[in-house]
Amino acid sequence: MQFALRLLLRDIRSGDILTLIFALIISVSTVTAISLFIDRLQLSFESESANLMAADRLISSDDAIPDNWQTKADELGLKQAQRTSFRTMIFAGDNLQLSQVSAVTALYPLKGVYLVDDTLFGTGHEYTQPPQPGKIWLSSRLASLLGVKIGDQVEVGETSLTVSHFLVRDPNASSSAFAISPRAVINMADLAATQVIIPGSRVRYSLLLAGDKDLLDQYESWVTPQLNDGQRWRTPTQKGERIGDTIGKAQSFLLLAGTLAVILSGIAMALASSRFVKRHLMQVAVLKTLGATPKKLVQVFLIQFIALFVIGAGIGLAAGWGLQLIISSMLAGLMSTALPEPSLSRLWLGVATGLVSMLAFCFPLMQRLIKVSPMSVLQPGFKVEQNTVIIYGIGFVGMFGLMCLYTGGLILPSIMMLAIVGIGLLVALLGYGVFSFGRSLTSGATSGWQIGFAALYRRLFPNLFQLLVFTLIIMLGLILVGVKSNLISDWQQQLPADAPNHYLFNVQADQIDQIDKVTDSLNIKRSDWFPMVRGRVININGTSVQTLYPEDKPEPELFSRELNLTWSDEIGKGSKLLEGDFNANGLSIEQRVMQEANLKMGDKLTINIGGNDITLPITSVREVDWGSMQPNFYLILPKQALADYPANFVSSVFISQQNAQPFYKAMSQFPTVSMLNVGDLLKQVQTVIGQLSQAIQLVLLCILSAGALVLLASVRSTLEERLEEGALLRVLGAKKSLVQQALFVEFGALGLFSGLIAAAGAEACLYGLQVFVFKAEASWHPLLWSLGPLIGVVVISAIGLFASRKVSSVPPMHLLREV
Amino acid sequence: MAVTTAIKVTNLTHTVSANTGDLTILKGISLDIQEGESVAIVGASGSGKSTLLGLLAGLDVNTSGEIYLYDHAFSAMDEEQRALLRGQYVGFIFQSFHLLPSLQAVENVMLPAELKGDKDARQKAEALLEKVGLSHRLTHYPNQLSGGEQQRVAIARAFASSPKILFADEPTGNLDEGNGRIIIEQLFEMNKEQGTTLVMVTHDNHLAEKCDRQLVMSAGQLVEKN
Repeated sequence: MQFALRLLLRDIRSGDILTLIFALIISVSTVTAISLFIDRLQLSFESESANLMAADRLISSDDAIPDNWQTKADELGLKQAQRTSFRTMIFAGDNLQLSQVSAVTALYPLKGVYLVDDTLFGTGHEYTQPPQPGKIWLSSRLASLLGVKIGDQVEVGETSLTVSHFLVRDPNASSSAFAISPRAVINMADLAATQVIIPGSRVRYSLLLAGDKDLLDQYESWVTPQLNDGQRWRTPTQKGERIGDTIGKAQSFLLLAGTLAVILSGIAMALASSRFVKRHLMQVAVLKTLGATPKKLVQVFLIQFIALFVIGAGIGLAAGWGLQLIISSMLAGLMSTALPEPSLSRLWLGVATGLVSMLAFCFPLMQRLIKVSPMSVLQPGFKVEQNTVIIYGIGFVGMFGLMCLYTGGLILPSIMMLAIVGIGLLVALLGYGVFSFGRSLTSGATSGWQIGFAALYRRLFPNLFQLLVFTLIIMLGLILVGVKSNLISDWQQQLPADAPNHYLFNVQADQIDQIDKVTDSLNIKRSDWFPMVRGRVININGTSVQTLYPEDKPEPELFSRELNLTWSDEIGKGSKLLEGDFNANGLSIEQRVMQEANLKMGDKLTINIGGNDITLPITSVREVDWGSMQPNFYLILPKQALADYPANFVSSVFISQQNAQPFYKAMSQFPTVSMLNVGDLLKQVQTVIGQLSQAIQLVLLCILSAGALVLLASVRSTLEERLEEGALLRVLGAKKSLVQQALFVEFGALGLFSGLIAAAGAEACLYGLQVFVFKAEASWHPLLWSLGPLIGVVVISAIGLFASRKVSSVPPMHLLREV
Repeated sequence: MAVTTAIKVTNLTHTVSANTGDLTILKGISLDIQEGESVAIVGASGSGKSTLLGLLAGLDVNTSGEIYLYDHAFSAMDEEQRALLRGQYVGFIFQSFHLLPSLQAVENVMLPAELKGDKDARQKAEALLEKVGLSHRLTHYPNQLSGGEQQRVAIARAFASSPKILFADEPTGNLDEGNGRIIIEQLFEMNKEQGTTLVMVTHDNHLAEKCDRQLVMSAGQLVEKN
């Protein structure tokens, strides 16, 4: 053991083993930093989103929540609260108004705060507790409709409650999106006395939970099998919800970045190990002649490896921790709340990466070291038994396993691995062809071109391998740059700063002009008015929905509920015609719903509107950008189909902080109009996007720097041979400029070629990622095709020439002795 | 006093596979080398001298025939056992020195003793380096030493395990005449002091003549030179 450690220390002192430790540190630190950072972001968004849901988890139900669900939550030590929401009339003297009432228990909200005010349409201050028993909070709109002020009494069902505050914002903002009636909050203790909930009432019961994630997960697995059709388990960052989607995409990106970091680590480890093996082959052979037995050597290397792993992984973990602290602190200014501490349990990913890449790349190569024949000390050309396919095969499988572990899925790793295999084949075929062709065009050794191409051809296999490494690294960089720009521009397009933040519903035709006057006078931006009629799809091509989707088969959203239908002469903002004629006498359908419902152009849908059936074919398909916050519809019908039905109108407006109060006041003259404020949600999405964009840029920078280091290591790995050759050329009388030109040709050609293949690989990968991972439309990336070769030639020649500058500056004798 | 046979070779044949088919390098060689003897193997380049040396030291496995090192037959051993035997009996000096570049001169010399777990490895190594006149170069790395100095370090390393048999492959092949002479003197002096058997492959007639016996390798056969 001591002998092994002494040898290791001597190797470290002489710098020989540093490349390996360095590669290990890069592997562990990059993966650790990214996974810790993802964890912190995830925790942060969860907690921010939890504030908007009033809880960490929520069960919503059409029936009362069973008692044993609460008992179970108590048993697990989870904090819990309940909310019961219903619509009822509230009376104040002669005034009455249909309102959305929430009755909540004392601990509500478990997360987030209420905003309340004592003046009508005030901006509000924070409150963490609900109304006391006997009190009620009314939204300013409801209070003005009822004509009440603070301290007045209102009747809710059979009980009378005192108005104690005006409600500005409910912590449950995300689900309030569907509450169109003006809102009120009461204490759960008063609910029974109101007697408004009778059998058959439409009531939404919610059980809110907060606590440790593990306990919540436990609870989830306990309760999920018991949920019926009318019950839903909700998490704050659920897929399909706006923020969930945004975070989901960002996570995919960060996971991708992490996966690429893993590949990079693999390359770094492979390069470092092969350099280590190359430099140690003769040493091991000498040790064998001195009496080192294979058993002893296995022992020595095993101890050295464990020690190396402890050193590399230890420093890597610390560096990764430091790196994520730096990234987080750079982001701190942009975050609305401090990032939560990362979970220490995430550290294992970094350790696993280090361990797997060592096992996958170092061990097989080490095997080769141990098998080296002692005879090679006498005959340097003595053939070493080795099976490169097996060595790299093991590495490949190890890396694939790591990526699966990292992403928790198969799609991303499969896309990346397929790309690597494809690139490998392409590099082998094209590289061989071009190097041979280059050689045949330039025979002789009088110019740098000839010498450069001759060198490329002579070291064909090492050069092809190096070409592959260069290509992979450049490709990884290009993929990240491509995905990043797509993602960020996609997000930015999605949510301009003045995206509408309020919807206006239930507007009658005769109110439109008056509301227009209000918005015009306040200089408020408004989208078009859309008429809205409710209807339900009942038949598809003559077959009823019930027949197509019997009870046990889940039906697509298009058929599952009553839809808002509209008519329009123009396709409208935020929509794009994909197929067909928008103005034809038929249905225009939104693309995603059409896919989900498995429909195609020409299919005939029968829609029931107010008891009458209308049958129309699908004549156009639209892509709708739901992020545009414009009123949008799954189905748009021809005007004549809906003209005879009573419609109300919908529009969306952007209300800034300044004109909020005058607008709310002006709108109080239209008590029947419903207003939906999605501003908080939007603001959160915009903040999240801002933060994520920054985070992504930083992570990108981090990986690209790691990539540059690996590139440098890769150039260095073949430097000795090139230096030796350069020195020999100079001994034979070659000018410095000739040697430099030859090196430039060699590195430049490798760079140019790898840049081109990398661009092709990145384009293919981006296609796969866009289609399968980000579920977005595939697009072409012309930038990659110029960036790839440019980076290849400039960066690789620069690194190569810089690293081999000794060739032209140091006397050849020194060089020959060194190498 | 009874003479002990250090190396005994009977009917040794060695065949390697080449691009043109199998190539028999050594053809039925038989040989006895007594303890304390110095033997030079000479012959043209590519005649198989180094192959023979490697086989005698158990660095490779011969195709047929038998080699005994102090009555231990190599054919009955695996690489593990052969390595142990080398550690016990054998020292090496190579044409290209083969010092470990990451180790200082003294650490290179310590290696054989360290492999055996010897606690006094450093003192012994320092003493040996002093003997070859390199006590002022203890902490130098191989690339900081001249060729002659490197070979002297290699000699010190070869004697560090007090080997019974020393194999030398062209020990002066990479050195100038002056350095070569110093090396030869030191080699024979230490050989004499420790009573080591010396088997050496060389092109250097002057060096070969200093040995008790000269064997000429030609066409896969070994012939005693009178």
